[in-house]
Amino acid sequence: MPIRMLPMHVVNQIAAGEVVERPASVVKELIENALDAGATHVTVDLMDGGLESIRVRDDGDGIVSDELPLAIAPHATSKVETAEDLDGIATMGFRGEALASIGSVSRLEVVSRPRDAAAGAKIVADHGDIGSVEAAASPPGTCMTVGRLFARVPARRKFLRTPRAETGRVRRVIRDLAAAHPGVHFVMTSDGVTRLELPAHRTLRDRLVAILGRELADSLIEIEAVRDGVSVTGVVGTPETARPASTHQIICLNGRPIADRAIKQALREAYRGLIEPSRHPVAALFIGVDPSRVDVNVHPAKTEVRLRDERLIFVVIRDAAREALKQHDLVPTMPLPEVTMSPQPRQLFGSGLTATERSVAPTPPPQTSHVASVPVDGVRPEVRWMQVHDMWLLVEDEHGVVVVDQHALHERVLFEQVLERIGESPLPAQQLMVPVAVDVNSDAAEVVTALTPLARRLGLDIAPLGPSTLAVHAAPVLLVERRVDIASFVEDLVDRAVAMQGADDETALRDVVDMMACKAAVKAGDRLSDREIRDLLEQREAIERSTNCPHGRPTSMRLTLDDLERHFGRS
Amino acid sequence: MALKVICDQAALAEALNTAGSVVASRTPSPVLTCVKLTAGDGRLRLAATDGETAMVLDLDRVEVDAAGEVLIPADKLTQIVRECTDPTVTLEADGHALHIRGDDSRFKVFGFDPQEAPPEAHFDDEGVDCTMDAGTLATTVARSLFAAAAEHTRYAINGVLYHREGKRLRMVATDGRRLAVAVADCGSGDGETSCIIPAKALGLLRRLSKDPDAGVRISVGESRIAFRVDSATAPATLVSSLVEGRFPPFEDVIPKEQDKKLTCDREQLRSAIRRASLLTTEESRSVRMQFESKQLTLSSHAPEMGEAEVTIEVKGYEGDAMEIGFNPAYIADALKVIDDDDITLELKASNKPGLLRAGRDFTYVLMPVTV
Repeated sequence: MPIRMLPMHVVNQIAAGEVVERPASVVKELIENALDAGATHVTVDLMDGGLESIRVRDDGDGIVSDELPLAIAPHATSKVETAEDLDGIATMGFRGEALASIGSVSRLEVVSRPRDAAAGAKIVADHGDIGSVEAAASPPGTCMTVGRLFARVPARRKFLRTPRAETGRVRRVIRDLAAAHPGVHFVMTSDGVTRLELPAHRTLRDRLVAILGRELADSLIEIEAVRDGVSVTGVVGTPETARPASTHQIICLNGRPIADRAIKQALREAYRGLIEPSRHPVAALFIGVDPSRVDVNVHPAKTEVRLRDERLIFVVIRDAAREALKQHDLVPTMPLPEVTMSPQPRQLFGSGLTATERSVAPTPPPQTSHVASVPVDGVRPEVRWMQVHDMWLLVEDEHGVVVVDQHALHERVLFEQVLERIGESPLPAQQLMVPVAVDVNSDAAEVVTALTPLARRLGLDIAPLGPSTLAVHAAPVLLVERRVDIASFVEDLVDRAVAMQGADDETALRDVVDMMACKAAVKAGDRLSDREIRDLLEQREAIERSTNCPHGRPTSMRLTLDDLERHFGRS
Repeated sequence: MALKVICDQAALAEALNTAGSVVASRTPSPVLTCVKLTAGDGRLRLAATDGETAMVLDLDRVEVDAAGEVLIPADKLTQIVRECTDPTVTLEADGHALHIRGDDSRFKVFGFDPQEAPPEAHFDDEGVDCTMDAGTLATTVARSLFAAAAEHTRYAINGVLYHREGKRLRMVATDGRRLAVAVADCGSGDGETSCIIPAKALGLLRRLSKDPDAGVRISVGESRIAFRVDSATAPATLVSSLVEGRFPPFEDVIPKEQDKKLTCDREQLRSAIRRASLLTTEESRSVRMQFESKQLTLSSHAPEMGEAEVTIEVKGYEGDAMEIGFNPAYIADALKVIDDDDITLELKASNKPGLLRAGRDFTYVLMPVTV
């Protein structure tokens, strides 16, 4: 077969495969154009999930009739003039290929009227065939209609999901763009039914509450940071609002929604220990960096960007989110049942207390022990507390009563302390007089090789003793001090190591420190001395995120004075 | 026949306190929480056991009006007698119950049938292994018991080795991180005996050895050991089952080639250790000791708290300067049980065991903490 130059419409069809994957990507391109044109009102109408038609109307600058043919020609754009301009892209579109691509895989009709023009004009690109400009009635702004998308590209059409699913994707695209442009009114309809209506909001917070859900209104913590030319604003959700999927995360870079793994990772890092590892925090982050420091021209769809200072942005986001969480009072309120006409006191404490009573081991009979008070920090004169059922600490604070799970809190405190110390130097190791032998289920030499780097940092000295036996020569001082059976610790460590194979060093380390903290912490059922309780509560104040144990379970919950008064009929 | 005795309140309270510490705290068998009182021959005998350890105490500061026996829950009886403010209390049996009367108070405590009481501790004069005075025995126990493991696990023994060769008794304990060897001469004894005594029994034995001049006879059987304290005022017998298992070969653990030796003042070292350990935390419980000629510097640091440094004088340090870390509590524990003014430290390297000696009667091996 002779080599030939491809006809232009074929080139555009190939390019379209990269820009235009599905209705959502069409909508994204068209809305970005509208926003670049300064629109304050954008309406998206879908028919049959966008497969039948997609229409995006805006009240932006409009396109003068002479330029309509250029608008849908490839590599024609009003946004970039020279290659140097690519170094500092501030507009959303720039490649000059979106409309051409869309026009090559659908019937694209563009009707537009600049604000000061007397009349509108339209042009049609039908699967690459570009018609001529005709006069058309039009309000100021632009209306783009995409029909029969992928009708002639069956391969692409096959990859589309149901209209319902495609509609969902479109909705998400609009949501993300709307988050970045709170002052723009967005409307989306699907088959004539309004699916999303976001009037122009005065503040970003209002817009985000509208997008993420009213129920989150009180659970969004604002964050703000500027460092070394990187700015971050937005909101993050309180830990208990975390979702099983990352659907409630909106990340925009210079106003452009992006999907960046490093940034999601930075968020996860900020919430480490506050939420279970499988959950995702709610967040809307708007990152601003000098456009010259970002390369958005990585992929035509522009959802991936190359950050020149990826590490810096990671750190700024992580620290900003951490700081915001730290400043915020994260102690969750203990849910009380709604007040009824005849409240039953026994049920007032809800599942919080009774459910856990069941798990009290057959230890000494439940006893209510001493009440004591202690100055905890300079601000409040004293904090009164008591230990109940050798398991819970009840602590008074200005909002009510905080119920603390003594094991979970101590575990959290030890976890943070050990992690901080390991950051400096390996943990001190208590040498053992006679090595402790530990049987393992796998090849001892392999286990030792795999574990040694980690073990050394932990203050654990292990060596193979037999084919499936390890010798422990030294143990972490912490475990010795807390009287943890070293053999069972090492057995668990080996099991964990097998399960963790492939995890990166930091994850593995945290996992193991977590296990150490859990084993070393006071247990439910341990009677604590006044001194121990006082130390623990002081550390609670000192440790940055003590409201959840390393597994993400809460360490404390609050019964608020308001709730108590309401339930006792005092208010 | 119903028991009736008038007792000196203080003596009875003390005896009950001692006997009460034997009984089991949590057990499905209520008789194991009781003390058996037997009156007769001008004496009141208190017997208690938890099934593993049994004790018998004889009180002679009593007036026996009627002989007899009762089996009464130890904690209640102890509390009542302890709280009595009268110089004497009267105990009188009423069936299985016991009346306790002071000048202004009267108690009735229900008990159990004395026939159901577990067997009393009994000392068998035939099998005497050795004899020594109570003071020496108590010291030897104190100098070893503290190093025993707090819990009994697969790998650690919550007991103390009793090892007698001729007239030399060594008591040895270890928790795997340190090992204490206390030596004492005994008044009689030949051949060689070795067994492991549970920590609980030795704790009780110390309470029975308050009169240092009282003679103690020790008899060792197949699976039990018995002590007879021949105190003039409160003679007592303590019997305990032995810990099964093999004690680690302790002679091998004592390092023989320590090339760095020094002597220092016990009180100075004790104070220095206490001060340096102020800035240690649970996860970093260690004090660094830097040895140079004539001086020892102890230092510690906790990242979140700060650091400490204390320097004391030492005598006779030879060899290169060296540094080694120890858990300060382990050193402090040993310094508490010795009364010699000078102690000797023998070292080799920072990752090798250290040795602490006081006179010829106390040897202590300490494993270092390394970073």
